[in-house]
Amino acid sequence: MNEWCRKKPLEWQGYVNKEVKVTAAEQEYQGWVFTVDPVSANIVLVNFKDGGKASIVAVMGHAVEAVDVLREGDSSMADQLTSLFMPAGAQSYSR
Amino acid sequence: TISASGPVDCVDLRSEQRARSFLRERYLRSLIAMVKRDAKFTMYEKVKVDAVFAGSDIDILNFQVEDLETPLGVQKEALIRCPDVISYSFEIDSSL
Repeated sequence: MNEWCRKKPLEWQGYVNKEVKVTAAEQEYQGWVFTVDPVSANIVLVNFKDGGKASIVAVMGHAVEAVDVLREGDSSMADQLTSLFMPAGAQSYSR
Repeated sequence: TISASGPVDCVDLRSEQRARSFLRERYLRSLIAMVKRDAKFTMYEKVKVDAVFAGSDIDILNFQVEDLETPLGVQKEALIRCPDVISYSFEIDSSL
């Protein structure tokens, strides 16, 4: 098990809404962190594109070698990421 | 694996569980968003395959896919073993 998989949920949560560079199996992936699955440690990255599209890349936790934070996200980026996968009209009832 | 903690760590455990459920819910929503979409899987040994995503088991050990494009032809139904995968990608509309 690599170092990334051994992290705690609170540590993973610290990466959410930040732009990162993930190194895995000699490849690099860049994007905004939507989430890290606490079961598999898979990290889900989002890149917003022109024309209202978003490309989603998930790097499997077992393959992650390094995660470097490039940029902190602001609240509008956080809102954009949160609304991305929520069903239309969904409302959050818990904080 | 979830390690047991004493009563002293109760508050820590609660915030950890909150983080865990926050992250997990988001991950499951990202999987739901991928269902019936074209996905690209980058695997070890420089293998890249395209398929339509269908589902996953709860431990994220296997992905069920449809129309898996392999060098030997298109497989109507297939399971991809997650330990063989490095990354997967797909596109969605973000203008909701």
